[in-house]
Amino acid sequence: MTQTTHSRLPGFFTKNRTALITLLVLVLLPFIVGLFDGASPATVFVNGSGQSKFIQGLAIEIFILALYALSFDVIFGITGMLSFGHSMFYAVGAYLTGIALKSFQLDLLPTFGLVMLAAVVQALLFGIVLPRVKGITFALVTLGMASVFHIVVMSSEAGPYTGADVGLQGMVVPAFISPANERLRFYFAALIILVLVYLLYKRFITSPTGRVCIAIRENEGRARMLGYNTFTFKLTALMLSSFTAALAGFMHALYQPIVSPNVASMGFTVTALLIVLIGGVGTLEGALVGALVYRLLDFGLRRYIGESASFINGAIYVAFVLFVPYGIVGTWRMKSLQIKQGWERLTGMLVKSAK
Amino acid sequence: MNTDIILEAKKLTKQFGALVAVDDVSIQVRRNSLHAIIGPNGAGKTTFFNLLSGNLEPTSGHVIFKGRDITHQPVHRTIHFGMGRSFQITNIFPSLTVFENVRLAAQALGGDNFKFWQAASHFKKYEDRTWQVIEKVGLKERAYTPARTLPHGDQRKLELGMILAPDPEVLLLDEPTAGMASEQVPELIALIQDIQKAGDKTVMLVEHNMNVVMSVSDAITVMHQGKVLAEGTPSQIAANKEVQTAYLGGLYELNV
Repeated sequence: MTQTTHSRLPGFFTKNRTALITLLVLVLLPFIVGLFDGASPATVFVNGSGQSKFIQGLAIEIFILALYALSFDVIFGITGMLSFGHSMFYAVGAYLTGIALKSFQLDLLPTFGLVMLAAVVQALLFGIVLPRVKGITFALVTLGMASVFHIVVMSSEAGPYTGADVGLQGMVVPAFISPANERLRFYFAALIILVLVYLLYKRFITSPTGRVCIAIRENEGRARMLGYNTFTFKLTALMLSSFTAALAGFMHALYQPIVSPNVASMGFTVTALLIVLIGGVGTLEGALVGALVYRLLDFGLRRYIGESASFINGAIYVAFVLFVPYGIVGTWRMKSLQIKQGWERLTGMLVKSAK
Repeated sequence: MNTDIILEAKKLTKQFGALVAVDDVSIQVRRNSLHAIIGPNGAGKTTFFNLLSGNLEPTSGHVIFKGRDITHQPVHRTIHFGMGRSFQITNIFPSLTVFENVRLAAQALGGDNFKFWQAASHFKKYEDRTWQVIEKVGLKERAYTPARTLPHGDQRKLELGMILAPDPEVLLLDEPTAGMASEQVPELIALIQDIQKAGDKTVMLVEHNMNVVMSVSDAITVMHQGKVLAEGTPSQIAANKEVQTAYLGGLYELNV
């Protein structure tokens, strides 16, 4: 909206300082961690095992999670559609990749093509119900569809392909991108994909299409009264989301390389919701920050606390909703940390339940 | 058929269960006129507007706009034919700025809606149009204010701007002055008149303020219990005995 473009290049640097510094840190991260560990950049470069390789692995998981969270933010935070079946968007990509590689010995490129095709189909599937149901009904219908997928994946009939409740194992990942032997390459591939998708999303929300999606979130009836066929915009957002989530699932299958039925469960949809809530709904950057915080919290708590981790995890999210309702990025932008209001909300709830 | 008629309702009926909200209403709206619909609360004026704009589908009857039958067109299509519609209750995008509210309206019919690879600011024609409209409705100083923080009167102006942005031929204004402070009303009415006269536009107006209706309208249709009670020029309506008992209650003093 700001029409000012001064001298372009220095302006570009000052405007995007945070993003550029983050990118620089991420590019250097494997080597810096290596140095702390006593490994020379050359050792890191040839994928020597050690702390750097481990951190790269954690980072790759966060990148994939961030892609998944972005794909949720574009339909939930930007367009205002609450889908409870989002894990299916991811799981279809992951399972299809595994099955294509394992059972059909396809190459990577045809596999990827297949995954993208499936992404179109599942977005259309969700899209069919769009004109008929809204709000919580849409959430429940999508939950239903994802549950069917979850059940199919877990069934013994599909077992030979999906591995049923054990999960899909034993796929052969092409050697040139093997997460075990070529981790640094995988790391940079994942980083580049995340940066490109993020830039695409940034452009999308400033584009005429994205602006209408935001308008739909704000007041769908009014958007229609302006002459917008809101269905096509919602379907566009679903498509973009489905492509991104399926891509994340594709990368998940390659990296792990096992696919557990958990990624098709309701719980994994909640993961997307939590990440976006932590980071800030509808901010895009929130999905990135949220993925980082979520993964590190989960990792740290499990490591140092063990079994009771999920309890503490839950408590942290409740605290977030109460005290940081706009998420990390949203709070940062609006400079509105709601500690006081948070206590008021909490005491309000307690008083109400005591009555 | 008279080509001077831009919008025509033919025997429009809308039934909600047992209630007949609009009952066999036929009217003709002349091009470039200011046509007011008046009537007591519950007369079916807003429902009638909803039928014209495509927000509701009639139980029976037809809507003819510029010689085309638009009866069963969804609401987002009627906008494309050149109809703009405002609501009794303020209907805007609350957390977006005034500029963005109007810009979205300006962009709607331009055919660039799916260029997701370009920034919206790249399309200067919509931004130029937006500034033009914002200036016209007098919100230029408020351009970057979030719409929800505007005072009510300014929100009504914003709504008018959002209808004007795509440059429609017919404006359906449902109580544009509703909830406005009385000293702000003349300003908005003058603006509406100015838009109608200068822009060669047809305006349909639902309005309760009788002084306003009598002074600005070219034609008035009086609705009562879903039916057309009377039709005519302001002076004809003011002199109509039936109207006086049904709606004006005999209390209205003709002061035009």
